[in-house]
Amino acid sequence: MIEMFHVYKSYANAPPCLSEITLRIDKGEFVFVTGPSGAGKTTLLKLIFCAERASSGQVLVGGRNLARIKGSAVPFLRRNIGVVFQDFKLLTHRTVAENVAFTLQVLGTSRLECDERVGKMLKRVGLAHKADCLPPRLSGGEQQRVVIARALVSEPAILLADEPTGNLDPELTVEIMDLLCDVNVRGTTVVVATHDASLLARYRKRIIRLEKGRLVSDRVELSDGARRAVG
Amino acid sequence: MKALANASYFWRSAVQGIRRAPLVHLLAVATIALVLVAAGLARSGVLLVDLLGESIGRDVELTIYLREGATESDAAAVARSLAARAGGSAVVVSPEAALARLRGELGEVGDALRDLPVNPLPYSVQLRVSPALRTPQGLRELASEAKAMPLIQDADYAEQAVSRLSAISRAARLAGVLGFVAVSLATVFIVAATLQLAIYARRDEIEIQQLVGATDRFVKAPFLLEGALQGVCGAALALAALWAFSRAIVPPLEQLFAFLLPRDQHLSLLNPSVAAELVLCGALLGLSGSFVAVGRLLKR
Repeated sequence: MIEMFHVYKSYANAPPCLSEITLRIDKGEFVFVTGPSGAGKTTLLKLIFCAERASSGQVLVGGRNLARIKGSAVPFLRRNIGVVFQDFKLLTHRTVAENVAFTLQVLGTSRLECDERVGKMLKRVGLAHKADCLPPRLSGGEQQRVVIARALVSEPAILLADEPTGNLDPELTVEIMDLLCDVNVRGTTVVVATHDASLLARYRKRIIRLEKGRLVSDRVELSDGARRAVG
Repeated sequence: MKALANASYFWRSAVQGIRRAPLVHLLAVATIALVLVAAGLARSGVLLVDLLGESIGRDVELTIYLREGATESDAAAVARSLAARAGGSAVVVSPEAALARLRGELGEVGDALRDLPVNPLPYSVQLRVSPALRTPQGLRELASEAKAMPLIQDADYAEQAVSRLSAISRAARLAGVLGFVAVSLATVFIVAATLQLAIYARRDEIEIQQLVGATDRFVKAPFLLEGALQGVCGAALALAALWAFSRAIVPPLEQLFAFLLPRDQHLSLLNPSVAAELVLCGALLGLSGSFVAVGRLLKR
């Protein structure tokens, strides 16, 4: 689903944000990308949804080489990728339902179908009763759930989440992570960038660790039972 | 179905955009309206010059002088042939009538003509030409064609006056067009600048649209529609102003230029075709302004 080969990303007069990244994420996987601040987690996600282009190396998403696609094809690539931004990027003057419907409007979905799908998605994230509220009136966790609903309403093949629990208390963190796991169970490939070690310990998934822009480890965190069985 | 959904979204988005920043849009509408009022007035000015030209043109006649010895029936034949060619009318003037007219025009001095032993004037034909031929080029061609005919000695018309009038009319039209183009360009940039403020206020929305997979065309469409709507509103305002101006100014203008106007013809500053032109111009101005503004933003 997502492949990177010897990827470098650097900006002028600065050390590279990413160097020599080679990895493969299969369809339906749940992957944590972790590392300290400035390790290159966000840049890695940006390369996947074409917000940035690699300085060298190849990035393939769904078999398409992003180095070779034209600017005009980028929107069509993004329609298959849902993104949960660290800073939410919600429109404060639009209601929760309107924010979620934004993705469907871009796809040219009819108003009737839009209303139906938005209603279902809000129900799934537990916000059906807040459909007509404006985002500033919601709690941090609720806002995060709106962002997830917006990312998922178009049923993308890939969900990228950049520090989705960064500003949330432990209870809300669990709530959001359970939601992302549920999405993954339904078949969506999920990539979560986080520096929260407790999350990695709690949700035993594949962990890609970055440090100073380099991939330093790529392993699957085994559950206690599995670890005992392996010996 | 998808196109319909998109059109409905663009329309709602454009109307919402106008509602959200009414002052900025009002400024753009007022600018477009001002330019269209100026264009409408300039067009009326050109109309007046044309009217003046037509009025003087109506008096333009070609005088065809026949050779010595030509008879009245020769003159009548020439008159018929030239009237058909010129799409107008021709009158045969006998040598006696021509001499009498000359005597009249010369006044006291003209009495001396009574003593002439022989009338030296030939038969002539006064030719009125169709409006299509009342141009310097048309009259010149007609005169040289007439001169080439065997019975004709010479052909004469007010060549200088016609040329000058035509040049004035052309200059007025050109000045009008150039002025309109210059002011329109300035308007496009003023409208673009005002719209850019409105678009800048919605940059978050544009960013999110792009992140969730909107094409540039999808992002631009509501803004272009907004611009076109502004243009149409500006044109409506301009039409209202021109209508009021027309009501106030046309009656005194008609009195002033009564000598130029044919009977039963009225001066008209506004008619359906002018109104349609102004609405189209307004929509194009608004559209161009928003095109420049949104283009600048998406380039960043």
